[in-house]
Amino acid sequence: MGRIVVVAALVAGVATALIVAASAPAHFDPADPYTHEECPGSPANRVDPINVVFTGWGTWGRAASQIESHLGWTATSGSAQSFVDHGRCYAMHAQRASGQASRFHVRVRGQHKDAELGWTAVGDAHHEDLVLFPVPCGHAVDSNGAGGSGFDQGRDEVERRFAAAGHATRRVWWGNTQSFKQCDGDYAASDGWTLFVELHQVNHS
Amino acid sequence: MSRVPLGTRARGSIGLAAVSLLVAVAAVLVLPRAGPAEVGGSGTGFGESGLEEPDELRLYYAGQRADGLPLTTVLRRDDTAGFASFVYGDCVASGDVGCAPPAEIQVWPACRRSLALHDGTDETRGPVPEWVRVRGIRGAFFEAGRRLELETDRSLVVVFAQSRQDVLRMAAELRAVDGSVDADAPLPPPKPHAAAEEGGAMAC
Repeated sequence: MGRIVVVAALVAGVATALIVAASAPAHFDPADPYTHEECPGSPANRVDPINVVFTGWGTWGRAASQIESHLGWTATSGSAQSFVDHGRCYAMHAQRASGQASRFHVRVRGQHKDAELGWTAVGDAHHEDLVLFPVPCGHAVDSNGAGGSGFDQGRDEVERRFAAAGHATRRVWWGNTQSFKQCDGDYAASDGWTLFVELHQVNHS
Repeated sequence: MSRVPLGTRARGSIGLAAVSLLVAVAAVLVLPRAGPAEVGGSGTGFGESGLEEPDELRLYYAGQRADGLPLTTVLRRDDTAGFASFVYGDCVASGDVGCAPPAEIQVWPACRRSLALHDGTDETRGPVPEWVRVRGIRGAFFEAGRRLELETDRSLVVVFAQSRQDVLRMAAELRAVDGSVDADAPLPPPKPHAAAEEGGAMAC
């Protein structure tokens, strides 16, 4: 009798888990297209625009691995930030950078699996300078340049390297162009175009 | 992104003398008359001579103070994006962490940005517009009401703020920098060719 009860409880538990999983919103959510300094995420603690979405086998681990492989961004230093998915705020999963001083940098968070896009992860690719003068303040995203802001430069670099490695890429208009003040007093904003990169299952060594 | 020169860098508020500079910005931000519509293309949407048709692109802002926030910074961007920006209030960025000012109004030439860019967002997986009418013209909310886009004249005015109510209060204060449209008047409808055409935006 006791064994039957245990089995029934296990079956009920599995069924409940399946129902919960099935009822979760099975789509990618671009409603909050910014990173946040901390949770809970709010408009007041936005930090960077999200400008990269990894799809297909776009788990955060594969995204980090393939960023390392295709872009050579292997440094992991930088401040932690948070991402919002379906209205809930979560800590980032990983970050990769091209160095320690002036560098390319991206933070990555695995997001909800999507019925069409597959596994997804989002990132805030950017180029930033290490500001030492007149007042040392840390990393500041480039405010402008021939290639656009530091956010645009970071996205473009991701696009260039992944496309060269044979990954399918496309751009989607998100319009998340809010300006962000940097520690050197300048402002930086995305041009509003978000890059979608399809990842494959096998990581590179 | 470059600040529009204000003589001295303004923090806290911008003096009356800056208004003439804002008008100068308005005079500079005009639409070139040639070039194909190209979504995400390299055209800037801003002319070089500027003064030939000073009323082609009318700039809108919310005055020197709106919703309790002073106009603190005026930005102009003319590279992969092209817009004039009026930043209200201030914030403190530190270390590796930038910060979002409490409110911002961006004015884009319609050739660079229009609501038509959001067509087909179901397929492209972009943000879904929440259509509204504000000040007598069509617009759309995004980001859970923290971003409002309004098509008026030959421009797209984008209002960022921290809540839907804040956004609407800023939108209620919108007026033309050149004084031709008051805050209590309806905003002009978009020019016929400012709406979607051949690829989503008017030609720059």
